[in-house]
This record gives sequence, structure tokens and C-alpha cells, in this order.
Amino acid sequence: MKNKPKFKFRLTRRAFAYPYMIFMLLFVVVPLVIILINAFLDDNKQFTFQNFVEFFSDAGGGLTVLGNSLVIGLVTTLICLVIGYPVAYFLAKYHASSRVFVLLFILPMWVNFLIRTLSTKALFMQLNVPLGMGTVLFGMVYNYLPYMILPLHTTLVSIDHSYIEAAEDLGADKMTVFLKTVLPLSLSGIVSGVTMTFIPAISTFAISEILSSSKIFLFGDAINMHFSKTTNSLGVGSVMSLVMLLLVILSNVAVNLTSKDEEVSAL
Amino acid sequence: MKRSVSVIAILLLCCLVLTAFAACKQEEVDHLVIYNWADYIFDQDLEEFEAYYEQVTGRKIETTYVTFDTNETMLTRLTRGDTNVDVVCPSEYAIQKLIELDMLLPMHYFDDDNSNEGKQFTSDLSANVDKDLYQHNSGNVEQGILDKVNETFGSIQVLNEESADYGKTRRMTDYFVPYMYGTLGILYNKVEFAEMGIYDEEILNQANWGILFNDDGNGGTLSDKLTGKILMKDSIRDSYAATVFYLKESGKLDDLVSESGKPYSEMSAAELINAVDDGLLEKVKDALSAQKEQLFGYEVDFGKDDLLSDNAVVDLAWSGDAMYAVEESWDDSLNDGEGDYKLGYYVPHTYGNIWFDGWVVPVTRDITHTDAIKLFINYLNRPDVAARNVLEIGYSAAVNADSIKADDRAKAILAEGYSVYAPELWYVEDEDGNSIAQLVDDSGEPLAEEDYDYGSWDEFEMYFFQNGYEDEEGNVVSYDEISDSNWRYPFASAQQHSSDSRSLDSLGVMRDFGDKNHDVVTAWNYARSTGDTGSTLALLGWTALAVAVAVGAVALAIWLKRVFRHKVRLRDGTKD
Repeated sequence: MKNKPKFKFRLTRRAFAYPYMIFMLLFVVVPLVIILINAFLDDNKQFTFQNFVEFFSDAGGGLTVLGNSLVIGLVTTLICLVIGYPVAYFLAKYHASSRVFVLLFILPMWVNFLIRTLSTKALFMQLNVPLGMGTVLFGMVYNYLPYMILPLHTTLVSIDHSYIEAAEDLGADKMTVFLKTVLPLSLSGIVSGVTMTFIPAISTFAISEILSSSKIFLFGDAINMHFSKTTNSLGVGSVMSLVMLLLVILSNVAVNLTSKDEEVSAL
Repeated sequence: MKRSVSVIAILLLCCLVLTAFAACKQEEVDHLVIYNWADYIFDQDLEEFEAYYEQVTGRKIETTYVTFDTNETMLTRLTRGDTNVDVVCPSEYAIQKLIELDMLLPMHYFDDDNSNEGKQFTSDLSANVDKDLYQHNSGNVEQGILDKVNETFGSIQVLNEESADYGKTRRMTDYFVPYMYGTLGILYNKVEFAEMGIYDEEILNQANWGILFNDDGNGGTLSDKLTGKILMKDSIRDSYAATVFYLKESGKLDDLVSESGKPYSEMSAAELINAVDDGLLEKVKDALSAQKEQLFGYEVDFGKDDLLSDNAVVDLAWSGDAMYAVEESWDDSLNDGEGDYKLGYYVPHTYGNIWFDGWVVPVTRDITHTDAIKLFINYLNRPDVAARNVLEIGYSAAVNADSIKADDRAKAILAEGYSVYAPELWYVEDEDGNSIAQLVDDSGEPLAEEDYDYGSWDEFEMYFFQNGYEDEEGNVVSYDEISDSNWRYPFASAQQHSSDSRSLDSLGVMRDFGDKNHDVVTAWNYARSTGDTGSTLALLGWTALAVAVAVGAVALAIWLKRVFRHKVRLRDGTKD
């Protein structure tokens, strides 16, 4: 008992973060490293670049799917933005009564999205709407619209009203106030809304699987197929996951860049 | 004082826990972990096996049932050592793969000399097993299955370089015991087919697998109404087999020669589905890609529901699933109010695929502990157990038709399950005196003939095992040439159907793709990814147009407003 332990655990506030940090390390960082390793292994666990060659030469149609997914993701995001911006704008403008409306938009998110999508399919089948691109787009917009509205709403609400009053005092009409004051100030909301819609939209597989009976095949479906339906194409699946990860990182960089610009312009 | 009380309390607690452990140890219980497909066994079988085990060995046993959903999941978990299971029930090609990996224990359920006594299998049973109560059931297994398996797989070479037996060859029948089997075919909506004018034996026998591609077999389409109503299975192997058969029938392979040097036109069903080479893969890829515009979609589990709710009309299906769907589809309003099944199942007469699932023992198990495994596998080959599983699952048990017909208990179970009038088998008990089949009313009296769906056992037997009835000349005639939903026993009925041109040769067993597996997966991914992409481009075009129109409209509105204001200002100016 004479030797004191060299390391002594001290219960500081930081210690409360350790469980989560360990959790993150085990369930986020380690899997990512495993994916990275798998991307360079062939079926016999030997080092290879073949997986990258296979993906980028479009042998399994991976690039085509990526292209299709990007298009569909883009269109979904665009529709969400066009519908979501006015909604967020008016919710923010009539702030007093909007809490109930905001709740109305969040409410469907409390229902499991698989259940929502399955019921959407049932509705379409009841109405004799043929399943295909149209129904998949509908499902995507329906599911991701709240993710567009919420960040936009938060940004729009937090805009200092005196900016708008100042613009009006200086003689700007309503259109000019919107274009020159509100829109630039809400740019960060638009960027985060777009990211929050675009990234899940290109990586989803359940919506396209249910609402087109697996006919519309998206990047998420392709990755899912590589991992769950076959035994020995983990390599290409890992490469595809890495590409997906790259897209996520790129969009995060874009978000950071715009928020930095805003800080500069705010000064 | 308080301290001593708590110490005593803790000591007491420790004693209690220890005695509980000791009690557990005294009453030793054997364990059996069964790794099988979901819903692939009659639930009560497990309980009854536990009773049977206790009776034969005098020991208690606990069974655990673990499930998998695809052979691939099962293979991945077994090869990675994630699961500790005693018996597994994979399909034949997965068994081939496991043997190549040297991951199975030899069973020797069947003797080399076909004597069917299972000398090696039974001699390895421990002293616990009462040899008088044990009856070896390998003779009940359909010999045709073993022949098919030997013919297709022959001797399998161990390809695992780490194995001591690397390069040696194995016979699959030494390693597995068949459990269930079935065919691959087409599930379709009879009513819709009739409306399209294609519910006709000749038309369907001309189209064959082309039904899945909306191809009538003469270069035209089967029906325009079929477009967008076809379901394909989201399974690489099954879709591959169906596509290869279709390509062969429609003459798309006529001028081509396989890499082995044999023209495709001369190949049998088995050779065709197992000849996986680049030229053929290219054709399959294109056919599947082109098929997309005819499809409603790809299904894994929802095929039956989509067919019953008229969302789709045709589906690629396995016989047991199809039989279940057909039974569910009874509609009283059909057939002028007499009622009929809405769905039918069709196995094309040209070529087909037959598959087997069987029990194997992974090498991870302790070899001295195989009593439970062996008794379990042998138990499942008892005719009455097999009959019950057939009723429950819908696929055909590997126990042959003659063994079932010769067993009173199996007959009683089938008679009860299908409401057959069979007064001589009206009540059957198991060893413990529990009723296992009962053809009596509440007061214990045998039911009258009119209470049954089937007139007599003989009639039912012809229907069930031979998919037909006997005419005056003693020939077996099919009830319905178009529907194969009752074609459960191809081994029993193939040779006897005079009116039916099909034979067992038209059904091929599919091997593992081996080295070509990766290429097949790539081709399937390619087919799934491409084709029907015109809609994506169109979507992009329309969105671009819509955005352009919207932007243009806004710009125009702003411009108009400015012009209008300018005019007002001008007018104001003149006023001054």
C-alpha cells in the first residue's frame, strides 16, 4: 500500500464525456477503419486496388447508380427547397402563432419513417398510381421536407428584425428587402437544409425499395446489396461507402465555408 | 453488532447461490442448437423430439431454434465463426461451398453399398442410446434426390489450403441428410391471365420462362396488359436460372458455343444453369436489363401480397411459397360462384430448377457430442414427422412418397390435414397417449363421408403424390395441365404421367458459381443499376425545364413591376 498508483482517476466534469467518447470510438471510428481496410482487400483478403478499378470502370453499374442517385437527390432537394422556403418564411414571419404549425411539421417525424412509407405505398396502390420515379420522388420529398424546413425556420427566426426595418426605412420595397436582406441572411440555413436533405436522399434505400418495388435502384440500394445480399463483394461495397463518406465530408466543408463567410460579412 | 448481521446475511446468500448452482449441475441437460430457415419446421416437432430423446437416451435435452434468412447470411456467420450451432439446414450449393471450405463433419447417414442400415452412423452412437428403440430411417429418404445430388456435384474437392485434407475429394451424400426440396416456377393470376386471353395450355407451353419477360416465344409479346405487372425475385441465383432458361428457349443462344466447347443448344437443364461463362453472362445481363421495362419490381417477401391484391400478375416463386399463396387465394365468387383459386403455379415444361435443403453439422462441434444431432436428423426422417412438416411448411419432404403411404400415422396426419375421408385411420396416438390425428366429431364418433373435402384416401393419394387421377385405362391424368401447384412429388409422378411430357431430366440442380461468383454478382448489379435509366435523364430534363420556367416567370414579374412603376413615376413627373 506504500506505492501510490501513478494514474489516479479524477472525477472532473470532463469525465462525464468519456463514456460517449468511448462509444463513438467503438461504433463510429472503428467501423470506418474496417471499411477503409476492406476497400483494399480482395475476396482472399489480399491487398488490391481492384475494388476501386471495378467501381470506377462502372463494371457493376456503380457509377451509373451514383449518377442516377445524384440526379434524384438534386431534384428532391430542389423541390424541398422550393416548397420548404416559403413555409419556413411564413412560419418565421408570423412567429406568435407558428409554434403549433411547427409542431404540425414535426409531428409526422414522430411516426417511424418505414411505417409512413409503407402507408404511402398502400395509398398509391389504392389510387392506382403506378409505382416508379414519381412515387419515389414523392416519398423522398415527403420524408425529407421537415429536414429542410427546420434549419431554415431556425435561421429565419433568428434574423434580427431591425435589419429588415432598416432596409425598409432606407426605402427598399418588399421584394428588395427579401432579396437583399432576408435571403442573404438565411443563406446558412439554406446550406444546412440542403445538406440535411441531399445527403440522406442519395443514400436512402428503403424509400426507393418500397415505393418502386425495388425497380428504382439508388446508391444506397447498391451498397445495401453489396453488403447484405452477397458474400464476397464487401470490397466494392466498401469503396462505395467511402465515396458516400466523401460526399458527406464535402457537403460539411461547404456548410462550414458558408457559415465562415457569414461571420465575415456580419462583421 | 450490525456488521456481524450483514456478514451472516451475505454468507447465507452465498450458500443459497452455491446450492442453486450445484442443483443445476446435478441434473445435466443436453443442448441442441438448430440453425434453420424461419418457419421451416413444425413447432411441435421440437417439443416432441425432446420427449423422444428422453425416451431413447434417458437424458433430458433442450433445443434452441436459431434462424437465418439467406444462405449467404448463414455462410458468412459460419465461416466467421460467429455462431455456435449444432445442425444447419443450408441449400445444396451452400453445402458444396461448406465442403470445399472443409467445414463439415462427415455424417455417413447413407451406406456406400446402399444397404440403408447406416452401419457407420449408428455404430458411432454412444452407449446412452437404447439401440432397441432406435430405428434408422435413411431408407425413407427419396433415392432420386441422392442420385440427382451425386450426378450434379459428383466428388467435391476441398479447396481450403489451410485444411489438412486440401485437394482431397468428398461425396456430398456423406455429409448431408436431405430435408426439404422444391422447384422454381412461375406464380401467376389465373383470372387476369384469362382476361388477357393467355390462360391456355398451348400459349403458356410456347412462352415458358418467357412469361417473366412478356415474350410469347414466337418473337412477340404475350400481352400488352402484362407490361408493368411482372415481379422478379430479388435473388441472384433464381433470377439467373430463369433468365438462362429463357435465353435458351427463345433461341438467343442458338449460334453460341460455351467456353467448354459445347454449343448451348445441346445442353441439358443442369448443364445450362451450371455453365457460367463470360459470353452467357453478357447475354443474361442484357436480358435482365431489358426486362426492367416489363417489371412491376423485385420482391423478397411481398410477392404473394402484391399478387393477391392485383398489383402484380406474375412472380418468380419457389414451389412451397407458391403453394401457400395458391391456398390463400381461394375466392368464392370465381368459377360462377362455385369458387376457385385465383392464383396458379406453373413450372415450364422445357427446363426447370430443382433444389434441396439438407442437414449438415459444422466442424466446430464437439465430435463426441453428436448423439442429439444424429437422433434429431434421423427423427425428421420418420414418415409421420415428415408428413406434419409437409403440412406445415408446404415444401416436399425428402421422405419418399412410398414411405409416407406405408405409414399409418403419416397417412392419418395427412388425412386430417386435408380432410380426407379415411375411417380406418380415424384416431392416432403417440407414445405418450396424446392424440396426433383425429378424424372424429366432438362426441368421439367418426365423421360422415360428406364432411370431408376428399372422397377417399385412394383418390387423395393420387392427387397428392401424383398430381392427377387414374382414368379407366389406369393412366394417371392431371387435373389441371396448366397449374403445377400440386406437383409436390416430381420423383414419384414424373415417370407416371402419360399426358405430361416433362421428365426429371428437365429439372437441373444448380451448383455454386465458384470462381464465377464475383462476375455473376457484378452482372446482376449491373442489370439492376442500368436499364430504364431514361426516366432519370427525363427527370433531370423536366426539372431543369421547370426551374427555367420558374426563374423566367419571377424575372418577368420583377421586370413588369419595374416597367409599371417607371411609367407611374413618369406620369407623376409630367404632372409636376
